[in-house]
Amino acid sequence: MSEDLVRIERTDVLVAGCGGAGMRAAIEARAKGASVVLLAKGPVRANHTRMSGGRYNVVTGLNPEDSVDHFFRDTITGGADINNQVLARILVEEALDRAYDLESYGLVWERKTPADYLVVGSGGGSRLRTLGSFDEGIGVSEVMLHRSLRDGTVIREFQMLVDVVQDDDRRVVGGLVLDLARGQWVLYKCGALIIATGGTSQLYETNSGPAINTGDGIAIAYRAGAELIDIEHMQFIPIAFVYPPSIKGYTLTEPQQYGMRHFDVKGEPGKLLNTKGERFILKHDPVAREGGTRDVLARAIMLEILEGRGTPEGGVWLEPDSRVFEAFLHERPIYAKRILENYGERAARFEEPFQVMPSALYTTGGVRIDTWGRTTVAGLYAAGEAAGGVHGANRLGGNSMPDIQVFGRRAGLTAAQESLDAAPPSKAAIARAEARARELDAILLRDAGVRPPHVKRQVQRLMWNQVGLVRNGAGLTDALTRIDALRDQVLPSLRVTSRTRVVNREWMEAIELENMLDVAEAMAVAALARTETRGAHYRQDFPTRDDPVWLANLYCRRVSGRPQVEKRPLVTLTATAAPVGAQAAG
Amino acid sequence: MTEQRAMRVEVFRCDPSEGVAPHYERYTVEGRPEMRVLDVIRSIYEEQAGDLAFQYACRNGRCGTCGVKVNGTPVLACQERAKATMRIEPLSPFPVLRDLVVDRGEVEQRYLELELTVLREAPHAGSRDAVEPGRAREIGTLGSCISCLICVSACPAVAERPFDGPAFMVQLRRLNRNPADRGPRLRQAVEHGLLECFGCDICTQLCPADISPADVIRGFRRDLVLRPVAHGSRP
Repeated sequence: MSEDLVRIERTDVLVAGCGGAGMRAAIEARAKGASVVLLAKGPVRANHTRMSGGRYNVVTGLNPEDSVDHFFRDTITGGADINNQVLARILVEEALDRAYDLESYGLVWERKTPADYLVVGSGGGSRLRTLGSFDEGIGVSEVMLHRSLRDGTVIREFQMLVDVVQDDDRRVVGGLVLDLARGQWVLYKCGALIIATGGTSQLYETNSGPAINTGDGIAIAYRAGAELIDIEHMQFIPIAFVYPPSIKGYTLTEPQQYGMRHFDVKGEPGKLLNTKGERFILKHDPVAREGGTRDVLARAIMLEILEGRGTPEGGVWLEPDSRVFEAFLHERPIYAKRILENYGERAARFEEPFQVMPSALYTTGGVRIDTWGRTTVAGLYAAGEAAGGVHGANRLGGNSMPDIQVFGRRAGLTAAQESLDAAPPSKAAIARAEARARELDAILLRDAGVRPPHVKRQVQRLMWNQVGLVRNGAGLTDALTRIDALRDQVLPSLRVTSRTRVVNREWMEAIELENMLDVAEAMAVAALARTETRGAHYRQDFPTRDDPVWLANLYCRRVSGRPQVEKRPLVTLTATAAPVGAQAAG
Repeated sequence: MTEQRAMRVEVFRCDPSEGVAPHYERYTVEGRPEMRVLDVIRSIYEEQAGDLAFQYACRNGRCGTCGVKVNGTPVLACQERAKATMRIEPLSPFPVLRDLVVDRGEVEQRYLELELTVLREAPHAGSRDAVEPGRAREIGTLGSCISCLICVSACPAVAERPFDGPAFMVQLRRLNRNPADRGPRLRQAVEHGLLECFGCDICTQLCPADISPADVIRGFRRDLVLRPVAHGSRP
């Protein structure tokens, strides 16, 4: 190998991921004077924030019945009581300032009058507190992108973080990056590296996320020694398209949006019916009904399907209230258009029921962070969907948008300040990165083996069936055996069709597969350890919530190449002496 | 929904890094009639040509990264229904990285130079900006532009004249209509080719986000007549 196998560049802060959390981190780090390189694995607009409805929970003062205490309680109750309360408190307290930040970048929240935002409801919210804009997640991501560009963030498209570079004391001093567009290796020396690569929805056969969300950053942090938290909790959106295949799994948001519940917390949500015409949610949640949290709804729907009361296509029926059609069309024009194109005019006008099914949406757990986005590894930070703790065992609809703003900003601020005293990587660290690049280059040279896209499908099917919405001990144990086999026998024999280095999708997928299997294993091990049902985690063999034993978090760390989970007490507000949100990093 | 049909597909192939000159390769794909072009491309990749370079992320018309030309017309692959006979090519006139993937670097540079963030007279007050609800909707509609470049690719004025293209006019208009913005958006629009547009409306016909760049351009031109650009400040 030649010495310039890996090109070396230098930045104060390296941000991996170009969604809302990554861009917000970049904006803040630039504001603090740091040089910032932001890596996008694909084109910069390929991110999960852009795919979201952009709904933003916040206490604006416009609803006199709401307060940050109500918002906090809803978030904790929605999280099945295991959220990191300190992080959740920061979320509810800082959401408003961050909503104004978005407005300052050019996002225009929908309004009732020039001065009053329109405030609506979200599933699991006891009060109306959700803002939105006509351009949804597209608008949110676009205004942040243009702000980042203007502030001097250097955006590198088609650059995939492959691993972090660590010094002998394990401090992160750089990132090893594959420039997919040119087929070149780049080592970014940096003082701080922020993981903002989003979640792991691609681990599942039916999913609502972008094709790039293969859990890369979570796996990279985990391999670097960082702790994960609540990784057993994967959120499934309760209602998504069932067909055609091109759009199967794409979110239809929440049933409450399809009924008067959207405007009045006492109103009826859109109704879910099985093929016998039964309103099955009443068995699960007779109070909130279809206006409850996503975990309960998704599980209820999945059980109807698995027990044979679903449609031949694999869904149940959603009966929208035709009285909310005009408002839906006005508020969610993009969704209305997708329903029209795929389910026809009568469904799009809310004149007839249409089919829905659950779909993997959001990684509720993730990399453990402190209040300023620090992971347990020096020099390594995380924010957004890649991080965990804020949402506990289930995230409320409308809570990810404030999350990426609040904790993106905090990570960017801290990373900028702490990047300044960083030492350059040692020769040994650079040599390790080069060895890793050579190892991944070798994939291009294999003559025989299995193609990555086929293995990816196997993993997705396995996770959907055995580590998905419905889990049990036997299935999880079997999944772990299969994950082991895939890692030990299949990963070393992946082969790609072409040796070209430029935009070689199979090569990228081979690298993604290692990340997918690392996260899959951590998820399955944590899911096996949590012998109860809570939030998004449902165990058929332990079907009830067990507070005396399990009002606690599972932390997961890699020890000798294997996930080791440890149960620890909750992080509560009362347990911390320091006033939340007051400890300024500067 | 079970009916299958065979599609005859020609795909543009090219790998400048390996010296593979542009050519077309033929594939036959069996599939259901409601398949989208992206489903066909993915099927070719998974079953027939593992070395095919293509780009997509959201499958749902939001990321705007899967644009290609089908039988000469620029479309979003994830939204366009597959046809019985198709020639699939990368979006022109952008440089091709490989096969169907184009380099958008120059486009992003243009966006950067336009400073498409709200340029305020004073910092945001930390309280709600005043915007009429109808105006909020108008800005939000313009903000739904997914920057897929379909309109730029299809625009005959872009091909012949010094015009950046409809998508850039939409972004400038989004800011021009924001009451807080003090950027010289009309002047920028003129500098980037506002007056070069032929008024053919092809951009509006093809926009996957249902935006009308043609109306945006007409709106800017009306403003230009009412308030000359030489004043330099924003109308």
